[in-house]
Amino acid sequence: MALSREDVQGIAGYARIALTDEELDEMTAYMNEAIDLLEPIRQYDLDGVDPTFHPIGDLSNVMGEDIIDDSARALPIDVALKNAGSTRDRYFRVPSILGTDEDEGGIA
Amino acid sequence: MKKLAEVLKDWEAVIGLEVHTELTTLETKMFCNCKNTHDDPPNTNVCPVCLGMPGALPVPNRAAIQSIVMAGLATNCQIMRHSMFYRKHYFYPDMAKNFQTTQGPVAFCMHGHLDLEVSGEGAAERPAWEDVAGDGETPISREKDGSYVAPIRILRIHMEEDAAKMVHVGGEEGRITAATESLIDYNRCGTPLIELVTEPDLRTPEEARLFMEKLQQTFKTLGISDCSLENGSMRCDGNISLRRRGETRLGTKTEMKNINSFKSLHDALEYEICRQAEVLEEGGIIYQETRHWEPSRRRTVVMRVKETADDYRLFPDPDLAPFDLTDDFIEEAREKIPELPDAKRDRYMHDYGLKRADAAQLAGDPAVADFFEKALEGAPKKAVATIANVMVNLAPSFDALSPAQVRSISGLLAEDAITFAQAREVLEAVNGTEKDPERVVDERGMRQVTDTAALEPIVDEVLARCTDQVQQYHDGNKKVVGYLVGQCMKASKGSGNPKLFNKLLTARLEA
Amino acid sequence: MANIDQLSAARIAAGVAAGEFSATEVAKASLDAIEARDEKVQAFLQVSSDLALAAAAETDRLRAAGEKLGPLAGVPVAFKDNMHLVGTRTTCASKMLENYESTFTATCVQRMLDAGATPMGKANMDEFAFGSSTESSAFHRTNNPWDTERVPGGSSGGSAAAVAAGEVTISLGSDTGGSIRQPASLCGVVGMKPTYGAVSRYGVVAFGSSLDQVGPFGRSVEDVALAMNALTAAGRDPYDSTSQPCAVDFLEHLEDPVEGMRVGVVPALMEAAGLTTEVRAAVEGAAKALENAGAELVEVDLPNIKSAIAAYYVIAPCEAFSNLARFDGVRYGYQEEGCLSLAEQTSKSRAHGFGEEAKRRQMLGAYLLSSGVYDKYYYPAQQVRTLITQDYKRAYEQCDVILMPASPRTAFKFGEMSDPTQMYASDMFTISNNIAGNGGISVPLGLGAESHLPVSVQLQGPAFSDRKLLRFARAVEKSFSARGAVAPEFAGKGGELS
Repeated sequence: MALSREDVQGIAGYARIALTDEELDEMTAYMNEAIDLLEPIRQYDLDGVDPTFHPIGDLSNVMGEDIIDDSARALPIDVALKNAGSTRDRYFRVPSILGTDEDEGGIA
Repeated sequence: MKKLAEVLKDWEAVIGLEVHTELTTLETKMFCNCKNTHDDPPNTNVCPVCLGMPGALPVPNRAAIQSIVMAGLATNCQIMRHSMFYRKHYFYPDMAKNFQTTQGPVAFCMHGHLDLEVSGEGAAERPAWEDVAGDGETPISREKDGSYVAPIRILRIHMEEDAAKMVHVGGEEGRITAATESLIDYNRCGTPLIELVTEPDLRTPEEARLFMEKLQQTFKTLGISDCSLENGSMRCDGNISLRRRGETRLGTKTEMKNINSFKSLHDALEYEICRQAEVLEEGGIIYQETRHWEPSRRRTVVMRVKETADDYRLFPDPDLAPFDLTDDFIEEAREKIPELPDAKRDRYMHDYGLKRADAAQLAGDPAVADFFEKALEGAPKKAVATIANVMVNLAPSFDALSPAQVRSISGLLAEDAITFAQAREVLEAVNGTEKDPERVVDERGMRQVTDTAALEPIVDEVLARCTDQVQQYHDGNKKVVGYLVGQCMKASKGSGNPKLFNKLLTARLEA
Repeated sequence: MANIDQLSAARIAAGVAAGEFSATEVAKASLDAIEARDEKVQAFLQVSSDLALAAAAETDRLRAAGEKLGPLAGVPVAFKDNMHLVGTRTTCASKMLENYESTFTATCVQRMLDAGATPMGKANMDEFAFGSSTESSAFHRTNNPWDTERVPGGSSGGSAAAVAAGEVTISLGSDTGGSIRQPASLCGVVGMKPTYGAVSRYGVVAFGSSLDQVGPFGRSVEDVALAMNALTAAGRDPYDSTSQPCAVDFLEHLEDPVEGMRVGVVPALMEAAGLTTEVRAAVEGAAKALENAGAELVEVDLPNIKSAIAAYYVIAPCEAFSNLARFDGVRYGYQEEGCLSLAEQTSKSRAHGFGEEAKRRQMLGAYLLSSGVYDKYYYPAQQVRTLITQDYKRAYEQCDVILMPASPRTAFKFGEMSDPTQMYASDMFTISNNIAGNGGISVPLGLGAESHLPVSVQLQGPAFSDRKLLRFARAVEKSFSARGAVAPEFAGKGGELS
């Protein structure tokens, strides 16, 4: 079933990509063309086949030690903030959150 | 609104908790080696990983995984050998990557339980079986005093990372409403966080409160977190719905946030149960929404209505290798688990003959238990009950005592050298100092006279003076002896031992 | 004495160590070549002259102090612009990161520097590595040094072109679906995608985390082997959870014969639609050459490889969506001005900071990961990945390496592939190797009979058999020419090392 323009608009809203009307048309066409390309995936009987999320063989349990290495990696405040478009004092700054549908604390 | 007790006769409250606990005792964050503290100036403990800089990659903290396995073992969970980290996406700048690294359908710990002992006034919140008509549930068994044990199942405990702190500027009380801008401090971003989700097995606000309390005691004993509700290192969201007694289908639930004390948890749930009952009884409907507890106004208010389920685009994190926990890893975690509060309580009851409630109080907080056990060191066996008594009834209000001071005061009490009231005075005097309680007692001349010969003249004098009371005693009012003891104490200027006076008086009156 | 473009990496390192010429002289020669050639090639997004001269001066100081120099001492190297190097911007050829200053140095870059390499700058690429022609760079195109009206391939087009034009000796690229091997093929240089996990990804801006792998370009197999040593000798990177140790000496056994070893050929792939006659002929010639060198050709089957492109275009966009979610204009990156709400700022920063292909890939990923769709595409794609991996495992029971084309055709003209899904077919021979996580290498075979443009053969091997792969690559190289040539239009222009 093909994706409608409205479906694509919904995805763009979720992905936080503002699209113009014209872009939305192009994107809808592209999405449907791309999804057609994926059809071979749906032709398989994959019962009993494990997925490979990580192409790393048997590698597992990779962990690091609980040791502070701030001399090596922690960023001084000026470096931490230097690529930010908007800061205040030692903070990153964003405009008013109102107008979004998020709640205050994110999800955690 | 109706009172809780009224409501719960007709309605069954179905409560589940989601408890987030920061692993505050770890040195470093979950996926990087930044210092794990958020009290420093904003954006001090940040690196490319926890700031979500392009190209940075996560490496899981071994000690955090060990901690969650300990938490799972301590809450009777099954430790899942095979699990993975997943990415949970949501666009909000408190998560530097716009996804949270968390776990998927399989968590490190699944299917545990904690048994709650509900007693006293709190036990009355759950209506007695005979008060409830048509409840479909198996009745809980109660002791004669109304106390009961509620088994609460734990669905899972999973490992994840905490979000950054946001400061909302220009709005009321730092809240989002009317804020003109928000400032972000990523010090907290990436803090190791474990999320425990219960099954909806809780039925009263008191059970919820007790569950949190027990969980806090357990995690504190494990030493994996400071578990502060006030500072947010332990956070609790409550999911709550009502259904008519006898109904098996679940009602629409609301989610409660901003719970930062045990009392808030209880009161918010109590309020919400009563609010939902009122809405339902008036023929209204409950909306699936997130509500914010306002402690000052003692009410919950709507934060956000959930119209559709959130779609977080969860998928296995390709940057993190899967886990296949080994026996050795799990055993290593198990060996690190100290004696847990329930076991400690039972041991105190068994070894020291303490009452269950006293033993539970001493065993609950690892700091208190540790203090208690230090106070016992070198104390004679008969002093144990007195030490426990002092700690349960007197010491909680004295925060700067040493175990030796408590041991010494308890010794004086045990040998009747001072009264309970005097013990309190001595505690006050030595609190925050290194003073020896024995010296304080001597300096203040508090030591009780326990020489019968010295006390008998006083008894004679009082009995001669208080003829009315002596008559009352002989008329059957045995309690009046207390008054006479008081008179003796007064006459001895407090130096006589009240127990001894009591004994002498009774002997004379019965003679 | 010679032009910089005629010297191998080993020759430069030896010359610097012996005091025949200084690292500074080499760096200046490379800068001179870039000056003379790059206006036309446009391989670089930034030339880091200051860093290059400082690094070269340090190498010279070490030598003067009698210290042992690294195996890449003084060797001029370019880095794909998705690799962080403190002191440079890392733009990923995107407006989103136009002004992004690296806050740390990628492990792969650091290891090259630790081996003594001189950092000449950052190479152009398809935006965020989405593409096969480098045309999606937000800044400028890169021209194929063999025909400047044609694309260099991509996404590591700048890295391939800089080496092909002789501006640098070695470059690093990243390969998610063929982004090293395909441009290497189109530019006539050697390009290697090592086994997934062999080279650290830490500090390389992620596209598809389970597919991305960093690897070197060089004009000879030996130069590539030398770079592989530098990238892996220090062992696994503790900052990359998926990295694994593969510290072997890649130069050892490089010249060993391949006699008695087996080379797999997949008949179905040699008949694939879109494969041009000249490429096919050249690849068959390479097979013949290996046979002449004593290797045995065996037919193997990879039945599920036909679904590799479909699996890839599920997995890669999903990972890309997730990896690029962080670009919201808050902590770094393009930030739309004058927005009244956070949502507006985020959506407009992303809409205007990302180019078309970056948006397309993220949209596709956001859709494919959504509830319900995940089970229809993402999960089965990862199951198909298992089947493809098993195909390879079975094939490698019958052979040591598999030989196939790297690119179905030689370099195409700018704008020739306007349809994005048509472009996706450029990686038809390379993608399956990323899916399985195995190593692959593209080795030039000279010029195609019809196009007179570079053609290559690709060799693929089992996981962590990268050294064996280099040995076969060397065997092919020996049969065709001593080493890859510098594109004639640029050979000898500037870059004289006196």
